[in-house]
Amino acid sequence: MNFTLSGILAVLSHAIPPFLPLILALLALLVIAQLLGRLRGYRFTAYRCVPATIVALLAGLSTLWWLPQLTGSRLAFVATATDWAALVAAALGVALLTWLVLHPLSYLVRGPRRY
Amino acid sequence: MTRHLAPPRMDRRQLLKLGLGAGAAGLLPLAGLEATTVPTRAHIVILGGGAAGMAMANRLAMRLSGARITVVEPREIHHYQPGWTLVACGVWHPDRTLRSNADFMPRGIDWIRQPAVGVDAEQRRVSLADGSIAEYDYLVVATGLQLNYHLIDGMSPELIGSHGIGSVYASLEGATRTRDAIDEWLARGSGQGLFTAAPTPVKCAGAPLKMTFTTLSRIKDTGRRDAFRLDYLTPGEAMFSQPWVDDFLKRRFDDEGVQRRHHYRLSAIDPGARQAEFTFVGPASEFTSHHELRQAEFGREGEMTEVIDYDFIHVVPPMSAPDVIRESDLIAREGPFRGEWLDTDIHTLQHNRYPEVFGIGDVIGAPINKTAASVKAQAPVVEANLLAQLQGQALPARHNGYTSCPLITDIGKAMLVEFGYDNDMAFLPSFSFIDPKEESWVAWVLKDYLLQPAYYAMLEGRV
Ligand SMILES: Cc1cc2nc3c(=O)[nH]c(=O)nc-3n(C[C@H](O)[C@H](O)[C@H](O)COP(=O)(O)OP(=O)(O)OC[C@H]3O[C@@H](n4cnc5c(N)ncnc54)[C@H](O)[C@@H]3O)c2cc1C
Repeated sequence: MNFTLSGILAVLSHAIPPFLPLILALLALLVIAQLLGRLRGYRFTAYRCVPATIVALLAGLSTLWWLPQLTGSRLAFVATATDWAALVAAALGVALLTWLVLHPLSYLVRGPRRY
Repeated sequence: MTRHLAPPRMDRRQLLKLGLGAGAAGLLPLAGLEATTVPTRAHIVILGGGAAGMAMANRLAMRLSGARITVVEPREIHHYQPGWTLVACGVWHPDRTLRSNADFMPRGIDWIRQPAVGVDAEQRRVSLADGSIAEYDYLVVATGLQLNYHLIDGMSPELIGSHGIGSVYASLEGATRTRDAIDEWLARGSGQGLFTAAPTPVKCAGAPLKMTFTTLSRIKDTGRRDAFRLDYLTPGEAMFSQPWVDDFLKRRFDDEGVQRRHHYRLSAIDPGARQAEFTFVGPASEFTSHHELRQAEFGREGEMTEVIDYDFIHVVPPMSAPDVIRESDLIAREGPFRGEWLDTDIHTLQHNRYPEVFGIGDVIGAPINKTAASVKAQAPVVEANLLAQLQGQALPARHNGYTSCPLITDIGKAMLVEFGYDNDMAFLPSFSFIDPKEESWVAWVLKDYLLQPAYYAMLEGRV
């Protein structure tokens, strides 16, 4: 059974709408955090915050536990190479998103510091 | 009532969908858009607006101009039946399987909201419940199948949910009441569960197995596995048509302590006494997953029977084409599907005796193939072949028997088993990165989240 690009888009047009509020909320959080930070002079290359990085890494790591649960499954059932690739990709995504939100927010709280 | 195909009007929802697709699709040429429309004045009647009928209505509405298309479908509500196993094991809320048929019905077609009660293939006429007649030039038979609970003495769908009886196939309500019956059994803390299979082809042949695995999964979660006994009783030697999966299932059942009992057919049930009678189907009348047992043979005298007590029983009824097809000229007259299923060529899906008739979905006489996944593979074949027939050309498309079963082996993991009847039931995996022989979390996530959107896209004729 082959899926064409138009077929995949057709499937996504049914798959995404239930998650649209969540996707939009996360996107809004990301944009707002980045905008607020940048308005106050935040540049991610010029600012370091180890706690934000640690929290982001922990959030990513926690994905290995809660994502299978959220899908009605459990970590023990993540077994194949594809399973692990999908879960690790999701964990990296969560870590990156958390970092992109927390990093500018921590700048707003702590002010410009250079380590 | 006659109406020619009007240019499709779109509501806001459809426009939004098209916009979402077109946004990204604009980047690449799309095969679908290259397909030309065929002008015709023909009247095409589609019997049934379920998975297969709805997909065909949308496909033909897109490909034909000037045609008259009529869908005969009495139901207002569309049921996503593959979700019923998830309802019956308590993972899905029942409402998640419901949509309105109007959401998918293409504009510009006639929708007759009543059942067909007869088909006269010689005269090309369909009789409707109100006594009126729909004449056709081409007929697409997509009525699905009929559940013959009455062939099990003492059994009726109304019993589901009471007396420890479950049956995921009956309806959404039946699946919900099956869940309740399993809950009740688990709350008892122990007992005997019987899981049956049918002596006929069935839709989603994996569903009886999924019910066994998901119930076992829930039992293990109670921490009292040893207090429960599970037996799987099947008329055939095989548990599944695909040989590798069949071996896997036998080993897994043995490892999990699920007692396999082959050559057992559920013949009667005594709900009050919670007893089931099984007829032993001896090796002389060997069953496979595509049995040749005829209904008339169900009641043969002198067969050995065994009565078994149960606390919970999952009933899988014998199945056939609906009576409206069985009693028509369209039914198979010879071969393994005689008297039971629509007489179609299993590759072209054209009727074997009436070339203007095509069959699709559960109703057709085919060794396997009673799944929505098969419908997805069959719909483009019926579309291409019907259009060719209409233009007097040779039929260009061929169905390879593709079917798919996301075989849930535990709540939380599944195997994406895809195969077809060509090449000795060889695997036909859609995704190179999903091994059909492996139990996986990703296959479970696909079943839980992605197959339903794919099904709805199929109804719209877009995949
Ligand atoms: C419990 C369960 C689990 C399943 N799991 C899966 C799965 O995991 N994967 C998968 O691919 N498939 C699965 N299926 C199978 C899948 O749902 C069917 O194969 C698919 O729906 C077949 O489509 P169809 O159009 O042939 O029949 P249906 O979808 O049943 O539609 C038939 C339609 O015809 C109409 N009709 C009937 N009689 C008449 C009449 N006389 N006149 C007019 N209209 C009529 C009915 O109202 C109905 O709408 C499952 C099915 C069940 C019950």
